[in-house]
Amino acid sequence: MLPVVVVHGGAGHIPKERSELSTSGVTSAVRAGYAVLRGGGSSMDAVVEAVTYLENNPAFNAGCGSVLNVKGDVEMDAFVMEGKTLGSGAVSAVRNIANPIQLARLVMDKTSHLCLTAEGAKQFARSMGVPEVPQESLITEYSRMRWRKNLAPDANPVECQMGKMGTVGAVAVDSQGNVACATSTGGILNKMEGRVGDTPCIGCGGYADNMVGAVSTTGHGEAIMKVVLAKHILYQMEQGQSVEAASDLGLACMKFRAAGLGGVITVDPQGHWAARFSSRQMAWAAAQKDTLHYGLYEGENFTQSIDVQH
Amino acid sequence: MAESSSPGMKREDPDRNSKMSAVVVVHGGAWAIPDQLAEASVDGVKAAACEGSSVLKRGGSALDAVEAAVRALEDNPAFNAGHGATLNADGEVELDAIIMDGRTLASGAVSSVKNIANPVSLARAVMEKTAHVMLTSRGANLFAESIGVVTVPPDTLLTEYEKKEWEKHKTYVTGVDEDFNTQWAHDTVGAVAVDRAGNVACATSTGGIRNKMVGRVGDSPVIGAGGYADNLSGAVSCTGHGESILKVTLARLILSHVERGKSVADSSQLSLQYMADRVRGAGGSIVVSPSGQWAATFTTDRMAWAAVDQDVLCSLPAPRGQWAIRRLLT
Repeated sequence: MLPVVVVHGGAGHIPKERSELSTSGVTSAVRAGYAVLRGGGSSMDAVVEAVTYLENNPAFNAGCGSVLNVKGDVEMDAFVMEGKTLGSGAVSAVRNIANPIQLARLVMDKTSHLCLTAEGAKQFARSMGVPEVPQESLITEYSRMRWRKNLAPDANPVECQMGKMGTVGAVAVDSQGNVACATSTGGILNKMEGRVGDTPCIGCGGYADNMVGAVSTTGHGEAIMKVVLAKHILYQMEQGQSVEAASDLGLACMKFRAAGLGGVITVDPQGHWAARFSSRQMAWAAAQKDTLHYGLYEGENFTQSIDVQH
Repeated sequence: MAESSSPGMKREDPDRNSKMSAVVVVHGGAWAIPDQLAEASVDGVKAAACEGSSVLKRGGSALDAVEAAVRALEDNPAFNAGHGATLNADGEVELDAIIMDGRTLASGAVSSVKNIANPVSLARAVMEKTAHVMLTSRGANLFAESIGVVTVPPDTLLTEYEKKEWEKHKTYVTGVDEDFNTQWAHDTVGAVAVDRAGNVACATSTGGIRNKMVGRVGDSPVIGAGGYADNLSGAVSCTGHGESILKVTLARLILSHVERGKSVADSSQLSLQYMADRVRGAGGSIVVSPSGQWAATFTTDRMAWAAVDQDVLCSLPAPRGQWAIRRLLT
């Protein structure tokens, strides 16, 4: 059953013309993560690799392709966690960085803190020699168009976003049985400057614990936070629920108590995994036993043999 | 081994349990509070608990009570929140706060704000006046300006004590672990309450860890870590080693035990013990349940705390082990 890696490219209502982009994006990312695992790499290496792919892919709301805040700027959040020591790193509202997920990992590996925000995160990046990139390199025509559209006073950014682009993430278990998660996002369309969502909040945007499993979440950030969704799912698993049942219970709680829709990818240390969502669609892909699984619409689970590059 | 104070749970009075009794519990930080600060700490938490209690007695909500109590602690320079907050590596004050309403799970938080005297009130404004749960840094300050919250000059929040501590620590590099384990680390403040309607709420506020990296965000403003409130289980506010509290999402962990039927005291003790065992972190928590059970628990040397429960003011003044219970004059 091991190793296994699962990725998501956001929960929402992905229009047909973008579904091809979403599906090919997540399948490429999961192949990259799986190659790391097959090469003996750790689950942390695998999830960071997969999410880096998605950040670099302009079709997703992370890194390049991030949604814009109300001022038209890019502010990004990212999170990593490993299940052996509960080590974690996060950045919130960081600007001008191509790969926030890698910066989050540096926070975990190189500081005694768990989260750095805004200017402080940028200063740290500089001190680590992480190159600063011009904001323009992160902005796509699509994200600019969506921003302009949502400046209209009667626009509904939450609903609009549930429509189009979402946070990205990955969970994995390596051959040693270590679990890890990673989540990255540009946040909510037209958010207030400095708005921090669920992604960099441990227990909300993700969580990893070798004793239970790992989760990465996507969807309406504020609702995810109110129910501490990743932790909620893992508590259910501690009580004996399967990865699917626990994920569905978490999403139901989020829907009924916080009126929000979203999606999750969940894995346990034995390699059982689930990709579940209460939104209309979620682009996801998983790789296990040299088999690629992927889907977009509810009920989909396509499989094919994975091409592993030796 | 966690030390827990929970007189609320020892009572077995069916009449009491059927009435909705209002309770407020506050803390002023879990750390090795030195003797010379002990009196100010205890006086401070007692005064804050009385502030919160007045609100509840007037029929105010749990949310109003925790905000009032935490504001009192932020205004008190003896505590590491608002006025008197500890300084970051650049010698500046950066503040974090959270507030949460157990009735609706609504929450508001700010991280890394500057020049705001009462971050807990700004957090409440995030909750009530925006569609978001958390704002950080400059964005949080811009929001404050937009709603007319006064920006205070940086010097207002500085104290001589903190300036001296910062100077002292500048001369050598301290890791967060080491710093927390010395007797010089100040700490976070917080409050939990249940009102007569049975609604619970929590609030936590801090200047963070001394000499923290610029932009370091600890547990205090992170929902589920520094605080959590849910009418179905209870409200929690945490204090202690922030990075450890985050790793175990301490507030949410405590309530997960309450949800499974454990008492507030047992839930707190189990959770703090887990934090010690799994990530070698020390700290404290205050918890209140919707039926008025409460506990104040800590694994550090000391924790300044106080509670008002049915007109009785309870607190544990340093040094450890000595109780002080007195009936409030109404």
